[in-house]
Amino acid sequence: MARAAEYLPGRRVAGLCAALALASAMLVQNGIEGGALRPGGGRPLLYLPSGKYLRVAALGFDGLLADAVYLWSIQYYGNYQIQDRYTYLEHIYTGVISELDPHYVDPYLIGSLIMNTEAREPEMALRLLDKGIAANPETWILPFEAGFLCYNDLKDYRRAAAYFEKALRVPGVHPLVRRLYAEMHNRAGDKRTSLREWSEIHDTAQDDYVRTVALKHIHDLKVDVDLLTLTEAVKRFEEKEGRPPARMEEIVKRGFLTGVPRDPEDRAYLYDLRSGQVAYGGSLVLGR
Amino acid sequence: MAVLELTGVAKSYRAHLSLRKYWILRNLDLSIQEGEVFGFIGTNGAGKTTTIKLALGLIFPDSGSIRLFGDPAGNPELRRRIGFLPENPYFYDYLTGREFLDFHARLFGMKAADRRRRVGELLERVGLGNRGDRQLRLYSKGMLQRIGLAQALVNDPELVILDEPMSGLDPIGRREVRDIILDLKARGRTVFFSTHILSDTEMICDRVGILVRGGLKAVGRVEDLVRGEARFWEVTLAGVNGGEIPCGRVVSRGANQILVRVETQADLHRLLGELNGHGATLVSVTPARQSLEDLLVREVHRAGPARSGEVERDAL
Amino acid sequence: MLSRVTAIALNTFREAIRNRVLYLLLVFAVAMITFAQILSLLTVGSEEKIIKDFGLASIDIFGVLTAVFIGVGLVSREIERRTVYTLLAKPIHRAEFVLGKYGGLVLTLLINTAVMALWFFLILALKGTFDAGLAIAILMLFMEFLLITAIAVLFSCLSTPMLSSVMTLSLWVIGHLLWSLDLLGAKTPSAAARALWRTLYYLLPNFSNFDVKGQVVQGLSVAPSAVGFAALYLALYGAAVLIGACMVFQRKELQ
Repeated sequence: MARAAEYLPGRRVAGLCAALALASAMLVQNGIEGGALRPGGGRPLLYLPSGKYLRVAALGFDGLLADAVYLWSIQYYGNYQIQDRYTYLEHIYTGVISELDPHYVDPYLIGSLIMNTEAREPEMALRLLDKGIAANPETWILPFEAGFLCYNDLKDYRRAAAYFEKALRVPGVHPLVRRLYAEMHNRAGDKRTSLREWSEIHDTAQDDYVRTVALKHIHDLKVDVDLLTLTEAVKRFEEKEGRPPARMEEIVKRGFLTGVPRDPEDRAYLYDLRSGQVAYGGSLVLGR
Repeated sequence: MAVLELTGVAKSYRAHLSLRKYWILRNLDLSIQEGEVFGFIGTNGAGKTTTIKLALGLIFPDSGSIRLFGDPAGNPELRRRIGFLPENPYFYDYLTGREFLDFHARLFGMKAADRRRRVGELLERVGLGNRGDRQLRLYSKGMLQRIGLAQALVNDPELVILDEPMSGLDPIGRREVRDIILDLKARGRTVFFSTHILSDTEMICDRVGILVRGGLKAVGRVEDLVRGEARFWEVTLAGVNGGEIPCGRVVSRGANQILVRVETQADLHRLLGELNGHGATLVSVTPARQSLEDLLVREVHRAGPARSGEVERDAL
Repeated sequence: MLSRVTAIALNTFREAIRNRVLYLLLVFAVAMITFAQILSLLTVGSEEKIIKDFGLASIDIFGVLTAVFIGVGLVSREIERRTVYTLLAKPIHRAEFVLGKYGGLVLTLLINTAVMALWFFLILALKGTFDAGLAIAILMLFMEFLLITAIAVLFSCLSTPMLSSVMTLSLWVIGHLLWSLDLLGAKTPSAAARALWRTLYYLLPNFSNFDVKGQVVQGLSVAPSAVGFAALYLALYGAAVLIGACMVFQRKELQ
């Protein structure tokens, strides 16, 4: 080999030239990056076709491709340097990944999380989750997430209840969903349904913790329901008789109620004749 | 002046994924003089092709120096004065013979008119005058050898290097190659060729070198190498009706012919003199000289069996 | 020197045009471009877009395939079939051989791309459209082929055709996905790893520099500076690769 070098003058020069050319090429690349030619953040996504077409092009590797796009998207959306990175968010998750692999649950969850918490697009997130629910009716986590989003972010308790109800239809659902479902009715103002749900939760509870929690809710809800019932009855009485009832018992006597409920501590509810207001004695005691 | 000179050349190769070195050539000295025809003789794997590739700069030596026309080999310009025919040549089979030669002529920077003339001339010279427009894929092995020879001569080289030019040829082809070599010699060119077919070699070589397992065992004129060796004669006789043959030993006995080996010239004269007495007729007398072949066989034997670390490698 | 490089290039070109694989690829490409015409009947509205997308993609893919599958055999096949011995016994510098082989394939690709482009424009003309931007996109694709070919030749000097084609195609794919490497680099917490990713990002051939297909089809203009930078990048990177190939081949033992 020693002789080979002798035959090949200019080896060092050639090596130097190659290195120089490569270094310059790298500089040019840097120029392309730094200059006006730098593609916008969303650019790579603009040309990503819908999953419906990608699926054809994937030649049977659609699952793998979905993985790849998903993994990439997590990296991409976690990069806070790209200003306009949310521009094609819905396209990526709702349009591409979920089309490539409709039964791939994680991207629905992560996608909706990014849409909701990062991009502040809860409705977009719900659209993605709706798609996931439609494709995966046997997965309770998707309606659960949607419900939780409605509850926690939108404060839309009725919508939340509807999602939780969907989740409850799936066998093997986490018991927490049941409690959330019951609580949604409470927050939405449907105290009676909520009370019924909580009572059922209490009756079917497997452990003391749930039983205790349920009892506490039942206690408060019973008060709420009773007060509601009494107030309604007082109102009806007033409409009919043209005056408020003098005493609670009068309402029963006149047939507006079958009986006067007593509070959970087995005391009578307080009735203020002058204002026609019904109140819970416990709340006075406890300063509620 | 030496046209080709190798001094102390050694060449090894390493098998794949192995640190072990296998020596193909060790300390080879060889010098080819201007105007001579040099036969490079050796068994398969002796290192003939390796030597030739080193001379052409296709591979590089571990140590030693190789000079062409007095300059270090490896300079492409020196190859302007060289023609080369590789062993078992493979050429671009999508080209016709004429295109093939034209392409090679182009590499020497010849003008279009010169190329046309030269290519026609060469096709005639190697006996392919009417096959020039056929694609090489349709050529027989002998025709490929000839077109290969033609491309080696395209630049009218001072030194022609031929690797196994006779192999794969029929007797007529061999004679044509031999004639081309002799013609080159007559024009004052130097020819360096390797071969393991020895019968034609003796007649055309000025000198031969015998390569055995990477080392040059003998170099010199054919007559010098084989002179002084014992000779004998083989006599074929017909119509011998039994009885002893004097002054000879019967080697084989056919239906009505026998082959007799006679050791000395005096015995031969006696035998021929006594033929009539036996009623026998002479069919042939063949002087069995000690040949190059015997020499080669003897050298290989003398070198002994291949030791480990040495390997016989064909067509490197 | 130039005459010898030209002679080898022309011979390589002749080999390519007498190679059936080339015609097979070309016929496939032409068929694909034509097929887009039929496919476009299935859509509502953007017929032209589909024809353009399909046409450019076909030119790209078949150009790259031609470059790779002929390129990887350029040098190694000569060695394997021992045709290189006769050639290099002539007064040819080994670099001239490599450059001639490269030049021959470039010439082949030029004709190849021209045929595909002509057919593409003919199909578009039948639709009654022409877009100069498409010509720029094809020019950029041709630049891509030139770089791919250089890389294929380098691998051809190093390895067997089989391995070389896998390597070259992998580099091509990687070279189109480099932006993800950049992204990965930005995400990596370790500074050393980040530097490694960045270096790799700049070191590997960046083929997305030559890819303006999507832009052009969408009717967006391509900045002249983008073309200029791509050409400069090709010239420098290609030169580095080819010099590398020459150096590798220079010291190669032609056993």
